[in-house]
Amino acid sequence: MIIKFLKDSVTRRRFLTQSAAAIAATGLSTRVLAEDKVIKIGFLAPLTGPVAAWGKPGLDGCIIWAEQINAAGGVKLADGDYMVEFIGYDNEYDPAKARTGATKLIREDDVKFVMMLGGDTWPGAQPVADKTGMLFSTLLPSDLSPDTHTLLAPAEVHPIYNVTGVEWLAENKPDLKTAVICAQDDALGLPSVATYLAAFEAAGIEMVEPPLLFDPATTDFAPVVTKLIAKDPQIVCLDTCYSDYVHPIVEQLFQQGYKGQIISCTADFYDQMMAKTSVDFMEGFIFQFPDFDDPALNADNINFQDPNGFFAEYNKRHPGEWGAVSWEYASIMDLWKDAAEKAGSAEPDAVLAAMKEGGKGKHAFGTADWWGEDLFGIDNALVGNWPVVVIEGGKAKIKEFRSIPDWYAKHGDLLKKHMADYGQMWDQRG
Amino acid sequence: MGELLAQTALNALYAASYLSLVAVGLVLIFGVMGVINFAHGELFMLGAYGVVVFYADLQLSFFFAIAIGLVFVGLVGLGMERALFRPLRDNPLGGLVASIGFLMVLQALAAMGFGVRMEHVPPVTQQVISFSDKVHLAVPRLYVIIAAVVLLTALWAFLKKTQFGWALRASAQDPEAAALQGISINQTSRIAMFIGAGLAGVAGALTAPMVSVNPHMGHSVIVAAFIVIIVGGVGSLEGAVVAAVAYSLVHTFVTTFYDGVIADIVGLSLMLVVLIVKPTGLFGTADRA
Repeated sequence: MIIKFLKDSVTRRRFLTQSAAAIAATGLSTRVLAEDKVIKIGFLAPLTGPVAAWGKPGLDGCIIWAEQINAAGGVKLADGDYMVEFIGYDNEYDPAKARTGATKLIREDDVKFVMMLGGDTWPGAQPVADKTGMLFSTLLPSDLSPDTHTLLAPAEVHPIYNVTGVEWLAENKPDLKTAVICAQDDALGLPSVATYLAAFEAAGIEMVEPPLLFDPATTDFAPVVTKLIAKDPQIVCLDTCYSDYVHPIVEQLFQQGYKGQIISCTADFYDQMMAKTSVDFMEGFIFQFPDFDDPALNADNINFQDPNGFFAEYNKRHPGEWGAVSWEYASIMDLWKDAAEKAGSAEPDAVLAAMKEGGKGKHAFGTADWWGEDLFGIDNALVGNWPVVVIEGGKAKIKEFRSIPDWYAKHGDLLKKHMADYGQMWDQRG
Repeated sequence: MGELLAQTALNALYAASYLSLVAVGLVLIFGVMGVINFAHGELFMLGAYGVVVFYADLQLSFFFAIAIGLVFVGLVGLGMERALFRPLRDNPLGGLVASIGFLMVLQALAAMGFGVRMEHVPPVTQQVISFSDKVHLAVPRLYVIIAAVVLLTALWAFLKKTQFGWALRASAQDPEAAALQGISINQTSRIAMFIGAGLAGVAGALTAPMVSVNPHMGHSVIVAAFIVIIVGGVGSLEGAVVAAVAYSLVHTFVTTFYDGVIADIVGLSLMLVVLIVKPTGLFGTADRA
């Protein structure tokens, strides 16, 4: 930030020295030199605009990932070792720009794999994927359909993992029996509403109001919160609201005197929410995305490489910017690298076949199954365990890893019913 | 039910307050200069970033940050008047297009200077006035209500009681006749632009600790402000205030008793009904419409 830059009183000499050191360090650590063989990976996500918080931190994480992999020798394929280079394209969460970006990345940059946030932008990129056979990934499995076999959801099964938070809540706070939900009315909010409704029903928790949907352009959340807590619910569920909504909603809950349980898909920058409310108010807040300095991530079954080191490096470079997606795109790259090395090739069809071999894959939180035909019409979502995170004493802590497939085996029909009610089954999407 | 109605009324009062500040500034600029300033939402955004810089980063007093924000955004308004609107004075469409271009420039500058993520603005105070268990008014929201009343009253007095105010009103009614009476159109345009931009800046600055401050935050505000000035009557300051109160009441009550998406539909429908029944708006006159 400009002010911080000025406050640091940078002299010209100091600036030049630090710039030279940074350039040298970057060149050495990434080891992408002229003589290196390079595999290019496309990063097609919102890097600016209102949804940038779920794109830009992912690219920042991928750059750290690439530096670490390149420093360790790169990706080892049949014809030699390759360095990895990310080519970013800002789609501004706009389908038309996503289409242009996909075409540019594939035709001009010759990328071998394209990572996306997905959601509203996937329909823009889909025709390009279908035409070229390029391997794509999305963070939102609701993009999956049998129409595109080369689209994978290997990092998260949003919003299905939200069931683990509700299940944990019901087991650990059995006295809480009433809830309300609010969500923005969009491609992220609606499937999440259906999922939470199924999870609450499965847990025997009653909804005291139908889900409250608000326009994504909303800035003043006082009326939304007034309605939410009008009937004294014991649980307020913030669904998959963007951070720009979660923060003012939580602040309003605090200001309007709410004292019950809050559950949310994300709680990015929860320290800022605490600053606007209090440590006591945030105590017990349940969500689904851990800080990666959590000791629980050092267990043997965790496949993400050195989560604590990655978290420390990320925060060193981007202080205060760790969010839900900071690690997710990098974890997809772990999976991609593993498959490419197994296949001995970076070609999309070879990597896809290697990735799905045996029907299992190394998800960040443990070995998981390729799954999804019931909900998405195709088994292209990697599903296994997911952490339940609770704020305790001002710090996010993983309380438990819970199995999504186990919940689905018991309550899958409920989920399908609510998804169908909200028009979110793959064959209902237009 | 009584408590729910009271809390909703307080919510509506806050919404009406900041929306009035934005809409009155927009109307003032249009009234005097005949320009629809599409970059008005970005002036609101600049005021919010003023608080980010001077209050959150440099840790100066919140009210000092607001004062600096008012002056800074007012000066940006002066710059817009001189560089964009004055050369295009004979071409109202040109001013509109120039303001659309300028809003993109301001958004890009904010993104370059601060990044695209929302900025954290610490709370000014966590004090809440509790009228009952279920009726609360946070003190920062009270500041917005007080500021709107004070500033709009001061503007009314300025326009009615001072020579500059008379000059502004004369220019708004008939620029050519005003010029023939020796009133400088450049001078009145500068004053209108400074005040109009400053009001938007103050609204952005006051609300910054309670909203998500980001480069695109002006968009939703300008949409609501346009609905308000169309309903109130384009060019009417009184109309802007009355329409801001009416729109905020309708939108807030519908959000609370139905939902936010329906509230948007009702708000737009309100505008359509007014346009059909009285195309000049509630307080508008045919020559400005």
